[in-house]
Amino acid sequence: MTALFDKYGGFSSISRVVMAFYDKMLDSDDIGEYFDDVDMKRLIDHQTKFIAALLGGPASYSDERLAQLHAHLDISGSDFDEMKRLLGETLDEHGFESDDRDAAMAAIEARRALIVSAA
Amino acid sequence: MNIEAINERLLRAIGAGVAILSPGAWEIQFQNQAFGEWFDVAEVGAPITSVFPDLDFEALVAAIESDSRYSVEASFRRKRRTLIVALTFTRASADFVLLECQNITRIRELETMIESYSSMVERNTREIEREKERVEKLLLNIMPRNVYEEYKTFGVVTPQKYDDVTVLALDFVDFDEMAEKVGPSVMVSEMNDIYVAFDRIGEQFGSERIKTVGDAYICICGLREPEGDHAAALANAALRFVRFLERRNKTHPHQWRCRIGIASGSVIGSVVGVQKYVYDVFGVAVKLSHRLRDHAGPMQIVCAEDIPGDFKVDEIGVRAVHGFGDLTLREVRGAIAS
Repeated sequence: MTALFDKYGGFSSISRVVMAFYDKMLDSDDIGEYFDDVDMKRLIDHQTKFIAALLGGPASYSDERLAQLHAHLDISGSDFDEMKRLLGETLDEHGFESDDRDAAMAAIEARRALIVSAA
Repeated sequence: MNIEAINERLLRAIGAGVAILSPGAWEIQFQNQAFGEWFDVAEVGAPITSVFPDLDFEALVAAIESDSRYSVEASFRRKRRTLIVALTFTRASADFVLLECQNITRIRELETMIESYSSMVERNTREIEREKERVEKLLLNIMPRNVYEEYKTFGVVTPQKYDDVTVLALDFVDFDEMAEKVGPSVMVSEMNDIYVAFDRIGEQFGSERIKTVGDAYICICGLREPEGDHAAALANAALRFVRFLERRNKTHPHQWRCRIGIASGSVIGSVVGVQKYVYDVFGVAVKLSHRLRDHAGPMQIVCAEDIPGDFKVDEIGVRAVHGFGDLTLREVRGAIAS
């Protein structure tokens, strides 16, 4: 099976998804404030790797690493939902077929416990 | 509309931020809309250092003096974004300095993304390289290097006849009894130890192990360099096999005694099998080396022809060798030089 990363054109196309998702996250009224003090380079590095890992690209973000990165952020379930919604929206806007979008959504849902740390 | 008004309109309309500064006081005399929007504190009359507090003012003044031009990058936080602008100061006349600001945030963001991506790809490439090396090592365990090179290039190996090589066949006296006596793990670790040592010795003399079947160890010399003195090389390796075991036996509880047959002649080498392929050799020299080994006593190296070079070789008499008739057998006892 071809990875979504390759199916949708590899890095040259996925980089647009990463950029659009990055913009949406920063502009979000609900979750944007998480990024108030985050260094641009770190955030882009993280999102490039995360999206690539999510879509079966060259990165392998280990679960431990993902949990470690988000542990101190106190992210709530509804914030996670918002992030997921924004990603879904981004994928729709970049021509992902609904099955593929759902697969990516399922992949991110599987990582919920690693990212959400607030009660 | 006069020309000045047109100029002012033009400056206001462009996407880049533009300001005009007085060279003495370094205050803003004019700013276009984009400039005003980007920098909150920017207004006509404000000193440029209040807009860019991190600006190296002395460097700016010096560069304008000497080159009439100064370029620098500045970054600032705008809400939660880091904006990066490229500033270019140009002395346009004695009365004013033109400041152009290009927003290069997206370029820097994309550069960061490319860096991040290439680091991932590089890491993957390194992993693939390592994996390739592992596979290569594995394949080199089952076929000689020249055969492996052919296999790698063409995907197949053509069976090849080697007219003049030397084959060494070795086994161990009382192997089965020992296998019965000591446990399987001890047996395997002992054999592993010995075969690794043999491989290392063989390599020094340009020989390659073809296979082991239980206690039978077969190696061959002359596949790579058919012109070389392969019989002497393999006789040297054989002498060191024996010496290695003698030394090892002194310090180890299990006594290993080998029998070795050496024969020169032609062989055919090829990869046999599709899924479970194995490199194998067969031919007269292989067969004779096995027969000669069967005629060898413990720690004895037996051959049927004289070994070229300085070896102590003693005739041990004429024996009926199965499939080869009566042959005068010889024992290689050592190298004369040593």
